[in-house]
Amino acid sequence: MSSPFSINGGACVAMVGKDCVAIACDLRLGLQALTVSNNFPKIFQYGDVFLGLTGLATDVSTVSDLFRYKVNMYRLREERNIAPSTFANLVSSSLYERRFGPYFVSPVVAGLDPKSGRPFICGFDSIGCIDFAKDFIVSGTASEQLFGMCESLWEPDLGPDDLFETISQALLSAVDRDALSGWGAHVYIVEKDKVTKRLLKGRQD
Amino acid sequence: MAMFSQNPVLNGPNYSFAEVPKDAVDGLREHRFNPYTDNGGSTLAIAGADFAIMAGDTRLTSGYSINTRYAPKVFKIGGTTSSQDDANLLLSVVGYAADGEALQERLDAICKMYRYRHGKPMSVSACAKRLSTIMYQKRFFPYYVYAILGGLDEDGRGAVYSYDPVGSFEREQCRAGGAAASLIMPFLDNQVNFKNQYVPGTGVGHELKERERLPLPRNEVEVLVKDAFDSAVERHIEVGDGLQIMIITKDGIEEKVLPLKRD
Repeated sequence: MSSPFSINGGACVAMVGKDCVAIACDLRLGLQALTVSNNFPKIFQYGDVFLGLTGLATDVSTVSDLFRYKVNMYRLREERNIAPSTFANLVSSSLYERRFGPYFVSPVVAGLDPKSGRPFICGFDSIGCIDFAKDFIVSGTASEQLFGMCESLWEPDLGPDDLFETISQALLSAVDRDALSGWGAHVYIVEKDKVTKRLLKGRQD
Repeated sequence: MAMFSQNPVLNGPNYSFAEVPKDAVDGLREHRFNPYTDNGGSTLAIAGADFAIMAGDTRLTSGYSINTRYAPKVFKIGGTTSSQDDANLLLSVVGYAADGEALQERLDAICKMYRYRHGKPMSVSACAKRLSTIMYQKRFFPYYVYAILGGLDEDGRGAVYSYDPVGSFEREQCRAGGAAASLIMPFLDNQVNFKNQYVPGTGVGHELKERERLPLPRNEVEVLVKDAFDSAVERHIEVGDGLQIMIITKDGIEEKVLPLKRD
């Protein structure tokens, strides 16, 4: 596979629960079949908003740094944290700016709306088309496997603990059927006034 | 457009007769016949303690077109007559429908001959090896199908054998094949073989005890099959219309067709 989206491998998934959201990613960084690192997280936290980035690893780093800069500038001007839906539109317009020379990334955004506390998740293609979803968003080389898992395990109004179990089982089982993803996982459970980050070991092959 | 496409449908022709380029220069022109089509669809097989269940959707596609909403992919094999009332094996084929049908007819004929010559039905393990031989004989012009063979073994336990298009095979507890195999297979790992499931409070790291693998009862397996296909239909355009399920037990083969979403 010489598509820039599948050189380095990786997977990311976000889910909506009852008054909470979850976002999780694997930890692998590879060069085609060769694993280079087993500690390459793909989720980045900007205040109350979480951004998952899969795709070309150099673009994952570049884009995550770019949004850290943009979110910091927003915070200095506005004197408040950026809201998830605002950040989603920032991601969309920033990616579309590169319409004819895109970053090879498939971003996922997750967070709780700071005013209403309502869960918010969305996904994007590499040129910024937003996919608003009420249930879950998947991205990366294990996206097909994740679609199968999420579509069968996810149900509405899961509490934080059940949501953690659901997203973890979905991610672990999905990446075990994808040679380019795996080697451990990060899982974030976002509740009002509380963020829980867990590290999953998973299969080390 | 298709250069970095993440959609496999856009990466090549989906028809037997590839479109002839209309802007071709005069003079020499290359004509080409493409002997294969991908007809989509998906199959699934699970072996239980005293039964095997085989399922497949009934949609038949080429490209974005639906050719029919009812084309069975699961077949009874090795009965005495064409009614297949006393068949003892099940075969599911997915991939290129014409090759699937040809393979099914050939295996059935061979099993019928075996029954006539030996006065007994072919065992599932014997048929499994025979099917592998048939497929490998066409190593350089393969049957373009992912086949799964199901039945009951010598001890009466459910048996599932899965194949690649050139006849490499393996006995397994469960297997998904075809267009939505990548969606269904991790679900099966998780819900049939309990992969990534551990008993809470049994320790940390390598001390954690894996959840014990118990053979699932038939009613639970039927629910898993239905759930797996409902999920696949939701996210794969080549899967849908109907769900054909065949269950083989010591009492024979039961068949049912359930509706799936048709959109």
